[in-house]
Amino acid sequence: MHEMALMGDILQIVWEDAQRQGFSKVTKVELTVGKLSQAMPEALEMAFSIYKEQYNHIFDQSAEIKFDIEEAVACCIECNTTYIPDRKITICPGCGMPTGNLIKGETFQVKSYEGS
Amino acid sequence: MKVELRTDVLTNNNLSADFNRDLFTKTNTLVVNLMSSPGAGKTTTLCETIRRLSSEFKIAVIEGDLATSQDADRIRETGAQAVQINTHGGCHLDARMIASVLPEFDFSEVDILFIENVGNLVCPSGYDLGQTHKVAVLSVPEGNDKIPKYPTMFMRTELVLLNKIDILPFVDFDIEMAKKDLEALNANSSIISLSARSGEGFDTWIQWIKDAYNACQKQ
Repeated sequence: MHEMALMGDILQIVWEDAQRQGFSKVTKVELTVGKLSQAMPEALEMAFSIYKEQYNHIFDQSAEIKFDIEEAVACCIECNTTYIPDRKITICPGCGMPTGNLIKGETFQVKSYEGS
Repeated sequence: MKVELRTDVLTNNNLSADFNRDLFTKTNTLVVNLMSSPGAGKTTTLCETIRRLSSEFKIAVIEGDLATSQDADRIRETGAQAVQINTHGGCHLDARMIASVLPEFDFSEVDILFIENVGNLVCPSGYDLGQTHKVAVLSVPEGNDKIPKYPTMFMRTELVLLNKIDILPFVDFDIEMAKKDLEALNANSSIISLSARSGEGFDTWIQWIKDAYNACQKQ
């Protein structure tokens, strides 16, 4: 829902670093998006294309955004079963208790970018 | 050339949130971030809360809305200082917006700051504002399904004010079921049932605020 605002944050992080590196253009941005991070890659991609046009002094018009999707992993604190949850609160397939601790799947990071 | 960053997207927000939190801690200010759907009764609840606390505490309010200063105007009628933030389409308040209006307050003259977030059960829950506590308002006509349908909000808040219980006889809302649904999501949260119109249940909520205020004076 707030992907425009999130993309604004992402591009600020990228551009601040690009300036430190002495780059004049950014050609690629790669994000790590956890399955349960609540960020939608499709909406982020749309937001990126809007920003790219507006900030054409920073972004090459062929600049692309890539997503490294992080699968969710949970571990049950009762029986130690490790499983792939489809939601934040899940029933452990091992013991049936709702005591899965999310180990992975909520990451939402700027993984890398390319510039020159 | 490729540059590896591995920087959290919310890094900038969280830096601002830490800045806000430092200021609130240094000035012993209790800060409550109130979140709910549009129409759950955040402003009415706040007005009644301020009336009941204003003889004992100096209260300030930050109002977040897409447009208009209607809510800030309602708060000012209670005598509390209110600053309106218009997000112009933005679906939530973030920590930088809060930081930008903090100079408008004299924190040596503020005991409790309420932040009324933009009416939305989704996005506001993802943003740390530097508050002491996050509180959700849910009203009975919204229905029991809201707790399981919007889990993030109820997982990330410490208290639910169940509002509009004066109209409970006219709506299908099961308070016991709501308590069970909330417990399954977040064992550290609880429900205070109240009505901002009739005042029923407010004693418990007011006591909760006083306890929270006393707790942040000891830090």
